[in-house]
Amino acid sequence: MSFGLFFALAGAALAAATSGLGSAKGVGMAGQAAAGATTDNPDLFSKVLILQLLPGTQGIYGLLIAFICLSQIGIMGGAANPDMPLATGLLYFAACLPVIIVEPISAVHQGKTAVASISMVSKKQETFGKSMIFPAMVETYAILALLISILAIFGVSALA
Amino acid sequence: MSVVPMKRISVIAMKKDRKAVLEYLQVLGVVEVSFKRKEDEVFRKQDMSAQQRMFEQRAAQAEEALQILKNNAPEKTSIAAALTGRVEMSRQEFDEKLARREEILKECSSVIELDKHLAETVSSIPKLKDQKKALEPWMNFDLPLDLKETRKTAIFTGTLQGEYDRESLYTALKKYAGEAAFDADIISADATQTCIFLVCGKKDAAALKEALRRLSFAAPPVTGMNPKDSAAKIDRELEKADSELTTIHDKFQELAKFRDDLKFMSDYFTVRADKYGVISDLLQSRRVFFLEGYIPEPDAGSVQQRLEAKFDVAVTFSEPGKKEKPPILLKNNGFAAPLEGVTESYSMPDKGEIDPTFVSACFYYILFGMMLSDAAYGIILAVATGIILAKFGKKMEDGMKKTMKMFFFCGLSTTFWGFMFGSFFGDAVSVIATTFFNRPDIALKPLWFEPINEPMRMLSFCFLVALIHMFVGVGVKGYQQLKAGQVLDFIYDCVFWWVFIIALIVWLLSVPSMAGMLQLKTLPQAVVKPAQILALISAIGIILTGGRESKNWFKRILKGLYALYGISSWLSDVLSYSRLLALGLATGVIATVFNSMGSMGGRTPAGVIMFIVVFLIGNVLNLAINALGAYVHTNRLTYVEFFGKFYNGGGKKFVPFAANTKYYKFKEDMES
Repeated sequence: MSFGLFFALAGAALAAATSGLGSAKGVGMAGQAAAGATTDNPDLFSKVLILQLLPGTQGIYGLLIAFICLSQIGIMGGAANPDMPLATGLLYFAACLPVIIVEPISAVHQGKTAVASISMVSKKQETFGKSMIFPAMVETYAILALLISILAIFGVSALA
Repeated sequence: MSVVPMKRISVIAMKKDRKAVLEYLQVLGVVEVSFKRKEDEVFRKQDMSAQQRMFEQRAAQAEEALQILKNNAPEKTSIAAALTGRVEMSRQEFDEKLARREEILKECSSVIELDKHLAETVSSIPKLKDQKKALEPWMNFDLPLDLKETRKTAIFTGTLQGEYDRESLYTALKKYAGEAAFDADIISADATQTCIFLVCGKKDAAALKEALRRLSFAAPPVTGMNPKDSAAKIDRELEKADSELTTIHDKFQELAKFRDDLKFMSDYFTVRADKYGVISDLLQSRRVFFLEGYIPEPDAGSVQQRLEAKFDVAVTFSEPGKKEKPPILLKNNGFAAPLEGVTESYSMPDKGEIDPTFVSACFYYILFGMMLSDAAYGIILAVATGIILAKFGKKMEDGMKKTMKMFFFCGLSTTFWGFMFGSFFGDAVSVIATTFFNRPDIALKPLWFEPINEPMRMLSFCFLVALIHMFVGVGVKGYQQLKAGQVLDFIYDCVFWWVFIIALIVWLLSVPSMAGMLQLKTLPQAVVKPAQILALISAIGIILTGGRESKNWFKRILKGLYALYGISSWLSDVLSYSRLLALGLATGVIATVFNSMGSMGGRTPAGVIMFIVVFLIGNVLNLAINALGAYVHTNRLTYVEFFGKFYNGGGKKFVPFAANTKYYKFKEDMES
């Protein structure tokens, strides 16, 4: 058994792990702010809940990459090649890097922006539409990282 | 499909009709009061804020009473009630309730009184319990605790800090009281305090008092009775308080029948308070009053007719002045109207801007559908909102109805894209066929292609959508410029950019590696030259005209160069649409994951149950999260990439003087 499969798996696992960590932190921060806003005005619940959930998508993107990677290397579906060349494994790992690095940071920052947006909505309910956009701007970079990882993984599996 | 034109309306009527005219206008709800004219010698404003405050207070009282009832006798609410909004009230019901106004006010104060009583009773219980606890050490004592003296003796009853027995007590007292004669009994003692009863001759009272003081003597809980009796009394009071609580609870259940009255009271006084707010604004002479405001043009004629038929009034209309910014009311057809809320969330169109709702609606549904992109989820969304609309549509408030309609259309579009991309609960069809029926050949074939298998193809398609979306955005700007007769601006800001971008794309796609990456055919080399020339011409055009507001040519060219640099924002805007791919894949892949997790149990009865459970939970979760994602990111693409090209906003929403009620709709019936 070579180390190739290990690195490929490590890429997938780290993608899910770091993104999950980041989203957990982001959603957690936003959740505290949302709970505070809801105490003052229970009617805000559905609005602040949406804002709270925004930093959660990074975790999903990480999960997505993990699944795509697992299925491409055959760990899911049971066709894994235990003798995957080290170079291929490292390529998979590299393909996962954008997600591993960008998602947690963008989730935390999106969480902070969501906190600010929640306080904005709790002061002026009618700004909800605008308040949703600020956190969504942060997400752009999470999406770009996701995109590159997806394309890279498919590219690598086309090579192998 | 546009901004409704506004007219200025002015109404002059007799003061004796003031109440009736205002109430009628409030019921019609189509005039926004806005005064331009100032006070003068004849026409003055009358301050009605005191009355307004009084009515506001009453409405607040009713709200308080309703809140109390909600806490103590909660109303059973169904989902249907949450969807249906305000209840309609006929004129007859209205009059009946209004006639009982004094009674309703009494009901209101009785609810508030009862709540006060409840608070007192609840707080009395721990107080009584404390008193009883304080009496516990005295239970063996059979004299009243406040007995101070007999004819010849002084009596001290109370507690000392710390624990004493008879001996140590005598020692301690003798130390301070010297020769004084006394007799002391210990009633009870524990580690913290000792309860004593001390008798002495009156002549020694002062000495003993001082001795006791030094031992930190404290008076007992005062009662006129002996401790046993008074403990029994406290017990009776506690029982009474308990039964009082039950009675109060029952009373609340009974008072709950006044809930509708209270709701009426809240609405009624809110409406009156609003009316007095307007009266404060009116210009009034001795016999006449004058009202100014905005009215949507289509309503102008009928309002004039109705007012003139009912009252002695002079209604005149005029066009809003050039510098004025009339309030904005949007009007769209059934397809686009649901998205008025989205436009409003961004900003109302400024004066002279067009209403972007219709054109953004055309793309909104498509973008949402591409992001959620699962036929089953689309069907669920469309059917659920469709049923709700069919069942409660008539009674629903406008805002809720629009939201439902929006998700209905979004659901339809999602269904369409789901079938295009071959996703139905992800790959549920093939998983079920393979796992449970052993037919791996059955699968839902996409009508077009599966993004998961050809992500680059999907990405190219997303970029195409991006370009169309943004070109239309620029086009709307151009349309406004053409309408305003600024043909040159149209050429500079729109045509140059269109040509520039298209030429660049053609050029890019004629490079084999670029076209190959996007999985498109390479364009023939013959187009390269014309494309380059066109790109160059339009780029020069942009440099020359991008900063045309500057007179200074040097400045102008610099600004033009900066405008050309705007191509980088086009690039990032186009890339931003890759979220269509990312979110679309996310829906499909997560559903697929849940399906394959569910099918791990194989073709056994337990496996089937497991599949159903995992399938249900997984897909509900996936639908919720991805519908939210699709909604947020469709808004983002609309606000940032699309509106960014042409729309500024900044208008003020039209807020008519109307009956802004919370519980009842008085509108229709009162028109008669």
